[in-house]
Parts: sequence; C-alpha cells; structure tokens
Amino acid sequence: MQTVKLFECATHEWIVFGRDPDKGEKIVDTNQYLIKTAREAVLLDPGGIELFSSMLASVVHYLPVEQITHLFASHQDPDIISSLGLWDKTLPHATLHAPWIWEGFLRHYGCNNITYKPIADEGGTFKMDGIELDFIPAHYMHSSGNFSVYDPVSKILFSGDVGGGLNGADDPLFVEDFDKHIKQIKTFHQRWMPSERAKQAWLNRVRKLDIDLLCPQHGAIYQGKDIERFLDWLEDLEVGTALRLS
Amino acid sequence: MRQNTELKTTFFITAVAVSARLGFVLKEAKNISLEAMNAKALVARAGENVRTFKPITDYMVELANDTIRLVDDINREALGISKASLIALRGNEAVNHFNGAKQKAGNAIYRDSFEPALRSAEKDLHSYQQNLLRNVRRLNELLEEIESRMLAANVVTSTSRLEAATVSKLYRANFEAIVAKFEQAAKNIRAIVRECRKVLNSK
Ligand SMILES: [Fe+2]
Ligand SMILES: [Fe+2]
Repeated sequence: MQTVKLFECATHEWIVFGRDPDKGEKIVDTNQYLIKTAREAVLLDPGGIELFSSMLASVVHYLPVEQITHLFASHQDPDIISSLGLWDKTLPHATLHAPWIWEGFLRHYGCNNITYKPIADEGGTFKMDGIELDFIPAHYMHSSGNFSVYDPVSKILFSGDVGGGLNGADDPLFVEDFDKHIKQIKTFHQRWMPSERAKQAWLNRVRKLDIDLLCPQHGAIYQGKDIERFLDWLEDLEVGTALRLS
Repeated sequence: MRQNTELKTTFFITAVAVSARLGFVLKEAKNISLEAMNAKALVARAGENVRTFKPITDYMVELANDTIRLVDDINREALGISKASLIALRGNEAVNHFNGAKQKAGNAIYRDSFEPALRSAEKDLHSYQQNLLRNVRRLNELLEEIESRMLAANVVTSTSRLEAATVSKLYRANFEAIVAKFEQAAKNIRAIVRECRKVLNSK
C-alpha cells in the first residue's frame, strides 16, 4: 500500500494510505487518512473489510496501533467503514465519530466495544490532544448523512467522496494533469451526487475555507490551483443525472 | 448428489439441512399419533376381547408425543448450531485478517502492537469453536434419543403383531393395518434421523 506523509508540524501529521496492491480487482480503490499527534491519532474513513489487513499492516509503520484513539466515518458506505467489526476488536477503547443518522446501520458491521459518537447534522469541532478538526456538513454529497473534515492548521480538507472517482490501482496519488483527471471523475460526480442544492450548499461552505490540499476518499489529491479549478468545475457540472431516466 | 453438496458445506448450512429434514419426522410422528387414535377407537369398539391392545395404543400416543417434543428440541438446537457456526466463522475470518496483517507488516516498527488483538481473536475463536462442538454434541444426543425410541418401537410392533393375530377375525385386519402403518412410520423416522446424523457428522 502506498503511504505518503502529506503534512507535518509540531503538533500533528497527516498521512495518506492508498492504492492497495492486494485488493481484489473489482473492489473500488480508496484513500485512508491518518492524523497523528504525539499521543493520539484519528483514522479518517478507515476503509472496507477487504482492506483491513493492509491498513493495519501500514499504520504500524507509523504508530503503535493503540495510539489510534478515534475513527471517523464520513458516511455509511462499505468502502468507508465495513472494516468496523475488525477495528472494534483491534481498538476496543476507541471512539467512532460518524453521522448520527447512520448509528443503527453502522452497528451492523459490528461495534460492540468502540464508542459511537454521533455527529449532529450541523457538524462541529472535534478536539484531540491539542488539535482541532472541523466536521463540515456534506449531506447528500453523496450520502444523506455525510461530513467533510477540515484542519485549519494544515489547511487540508478531507472531502470524502467529493472529488473522487473510480480510478485504477496505479493512478497517481496527486492530480498531475487536471484536464485528463477531471474526465475520469465526471461520471462519478454526475451519477453519485444526487442534488444540485446539496452541491451548492457544500460549495458555499468549502469556498470559505483556506485550502492547501483537497483530499478525497477515492482518486487523486488536489493541490494549488487545481483546488479552485475543481470547485469551479463541480459548480458547473449537472449532478443527479440518473433522474433523467424518470 | 444433492446430499453430497450439503455434506460439504459449512455447519450453519448443515444445521439448516437437519432442520429441513425434521419436517418429515414431524409428519411421521403425526401419522403415528393418528394411527394411535384409530387404534384407540377400535379398541373401544372391540371391547373386552382386544383389551391387551390398550397399553399398546397408549404407548403409540406417548411415542408420537415424545417424538414431536424431541423434534422441537432438535429444531432449537439446530438454530443454536446455525448461530454458533456463523459466529465461529466470523471469528475465524477475524483471525485470518490479523494474520494477514502480521504477514504484510514485515519489519514495521510497531508490528507487535496488534499482537494482543490477534491473541484475543484467537481466544475468542477457540471458545466459539468449543460452543459449536457442544451444540453439535447435544444435537447428536437428541437424534440418538429419537433413534433409540424408534428401535424400542420395533419391539412393540412385534408384540402388537402377535396381539393382532389373537383378536377376532372381525377386527384382525384393522389391527394388522394399524400395526403395519405404525411400523412403517417408525421405520421412516429412523431413516430420516440416520440421515440427519450422517449430515451432521460429516464436516
Ligand atoms: Fe460513498
Ligand atoms: Fe467512497
């Protein structure tokens, strides 16, 4: 699994894990993010059950596993968090932060030991070992209960499925050629994102943030001018296209 | 062929297969019960000269009721096996995932940090497997119990046949028919139960 340290400062680090070479061909590729302080850590969208062993094997290069005190699930999809039952055995004392609407659903994956901390619809601030992360509402982008995560210190926005695409296992971890990249993610956004109103609400929120890296849960990470270009592109894109069928 | 596939599948399916077969046992037990009712009516009609048949019909009723009760217990146990087997299966998968991580972790600096999780998953798996074995043992015992009752029924059939031969010609054919049906039902139950045990004991 590829791992890249995205950010490092006195208080914390961001590390991305992706492009697992051991995953099945038909399983969608995902990016997992670890934010690590001196004493604690949070895993953002820990990934599917098929990825668990690779993820566990990768994180122990950076920290003893018990240092992961928090998990965050942007929404309920299996590629996000179907590994929950196994993390539940690995980190029985951890806390899972996830949208309140999914609690009864996510527990189907097995959550007997981990504490489920529901995130209210309006989001909020999460504090861990001296750092603060903002849970930014991203409802209906695509999931009906969904959050992005913003770190004002690193200026990293974890955007969940927004900005992602059904990329191949050897696609680059960072957007290299924006025009080429955007073609690969068009269908994903048109088909998976259901609502123009939701899209606009998310864009309004996100445009107020100072972003250095926009990190999706699939595909490549946006940096520099590509962030603004992506937001503009999304603004102009018609989403919810399956509605044309009805 | 169908049975072969069932034999090779995992335990939770085996338990379902046993449960499905129990439906037939139940049907046969109800047949016995019905025959016993017929016999009772006949005994009442025939009066004094078939009095020796009375305890036999009582026995038939008892046997049918016991079997129905046992089928109930077996169904409960089979459901328990289904659950225990799925839990064990999931436990086994967890151990596999942890072992996979151990292998992939290579020389990672904190590779030992998930050792306790692996150990506890292994411990859980062991206890799940013990539970499953206990369940299977209990189910086997219940099936054995039905089978031994059906063997006892054989003895009763022989006695009944002798008794039937002594009753007046007027009723003889009727009694003989009842005994034959009882015998057949007991035989069918034994066959099904034997099959259940075979399915259960071949993993
Ligand atoms: Fe999703
Ligand atoms: Fe996703």
